[in-house]
Amino acid sequence: MIEIQGLRRDFGGIHALAGVDLLVAPGERRAVIGPNGAGKTTLFNVLTGELRATAGTMRLGGTDIGRRTTWQRARLGLARMYQRDELFDPLTARENVLLSIASVAGAYRPHRSPPPSDIAAADDILAQVGLADRASVPARDLSHGERRQLELALTLARRPRVLLLDEPTAGMSPAETERIATLIAALDRSLTLLIVEHDMDVVFRLADRITVLHEGRAIAEGTPDEIRGDRQVHDVYLGKAVEA
Amino acid sequence: MSRSMGIRAAIVLAAWIVLVTFPQWSAFWESSRFAAGVIRQILIFAIFASSLNLLVGYAGLPSLGHAAFFGGGAYAAAIAAQRLGTDELVVSLGAAIAGAAVLALVIGFLAVRALGIFFLMLTLALAQMVFAIAFQATDLTGGSNGFSNVHRPVLFGLDFNAAGDLYVLVCVAALLVGLLLWRVTTSTYGRALVGVRENERRMRALGYDTRTLKLSAFVLAGAIAGVAGALSSYEFRFVSPNDVALGTSVTGFVMVLIGGAGTLVGPVLGAAVVLLIERVLPSQLPAQTVLGIVFIVFVVFARQGIVGALRRVART
Repeated sequence: MIEIQGLRRDFGGIHALAGVDLLVAPGERRAVIGPNGAGKTTLFNVLTGELRATAGTMRLGGTDIGRRTTWQRARLGLARMYQRDELFDPLTARENVLLSIASVAGAYRPHRSPPPSDIAAADDILAQVGLADRASVPARDLSHGERRQLELALTLARRPRVLLLDEPTAGMSPAETERIATLIAALDRSLTLLIVEHDMDVVFRLADRITVLHEGRAIAEGTPDEIRGDRQVHDVYLGKAVEA
Repeated sequence: MSRSMGIRAAIVLAAWIVLVTFPQWSAFWESSRFAAGVIRQILIFAIFASSLNLLVGYAGLPSLGHAAFFGGGAYAAAIAAQRLGTDELVVSLGAAIAGAAVLALVIGFLAVRALGIFFLMLTLALAQMVFAIAFQATDLTGGSNGFSNVHRPVLFGLDFNAAGDLYVLVCVAALLVGLLLWRVTTSTYGRALVGVRENERRMRALGYDTRTLKLSAFVLAGAIAGVAGALSSYEFRFVSPNDVALGTSVTGFVMVLIGGAGTLVGPVLGAAVVLLIERVLPSQLPAQTVLGIVFIVFVVFARQGIVGALRRVART
């Protein structure tokens, strides 16, 4: 589903991505882990088109996306849950989700207000992420955990094929982390997931396979058990992550 | 239609009927004709400010060159009527809308590539180029002398030459533009514009082509400003480089901010306040200074304009 070859991104003399290869099968749940500065968020930014790649190729479901804009990649089925909330603050939770649903058909529909089918779909998704009773609350009045749930709802509303989750549990309490991890675990298995996460419990629980990034390169890839037992991974990252 | 919406529509319609019949029911008042003239001008500038509000208030695009479309529309109406030798409303108004829209397409194509302060400066610079053309293309625009003696229009034999008839035309135009903007801003499209204002990056990640979305709003706002420009040319029977000048852009911006950006009623109230200060204040008082003080008061104490202040009062 995701085919990345020789992906590079330089910032001046710094090689944030120094030739990353990554192959993710349809329906696979892949975690990308690594220490800070390993290039995880840069990888996501290059994948969504928010940053240009310096070199390398990217394919999504067989389509070369290297030269496409962010919105074109979204229309090919790529969605991203941001590390920080990227919500529409004055709009209610329902209106936020409706904006995402409306993007499928395009903005130029002359409906005075969204059709009932869209509103029903929005309420379904809000119920799925546990925000059924918060539909009419402006996004700015939601708690941190609820905002993360709404962020997830926005990414799901377009019915994407590939979902990029950028630290979905960052800054959450243990209870909130548990809720969002359960939500992600319950997602449709046909959805391909690429997850960047620092919480190793969440990573080992959600991921089918794990890729370890270090200094802009993929230094290891395997099942959670293989990664746990990998000596090099332990030295550069896991040892520190577990101790911390 | 929901009940509250029905009530709102009834209130708007009633207010409009009161307004459109103003010259009749105020006929006993010695200043009735003068007042009707002020109302015409308020409505013309309300259309202009409302079109700018679509950009500033809804899409979050702070254009400082909107007079290019107001004046561009005014010139297009006057030039089309003169060159084609007709006073038909369809011709001059159609030319104004088309001319302003094409101008907005060209300026917008360049401007929507920039963000924030750069967008503002780019719209300002491009509008100044339009001003320079209006000033220098003497054969087409009359240069600094402008176009005088612009004819008032006729519509299928109906003559709008008399002030009272022009008043009805302006009222009808204001109502139609208001309905159009209400429809646009409450639609999925209007929500998408608000989405661009709040978080353009997120809109792109959701699959919206935000640049085209912004350009479409720019062209729509330009076309509506063109309508205001055409009406202005009928009202004053005169078009000059002043209509495309920075001062007119700033006036529109001040109207939007005083009234309340991002609301439908705000720009109408803003236009009323500004024009009442300019036209009705005793001539001994310096109108521009008073306007400046009013503007400062709103920027400092009521950022959401008159509508925002009224809402705050209603809530307490």
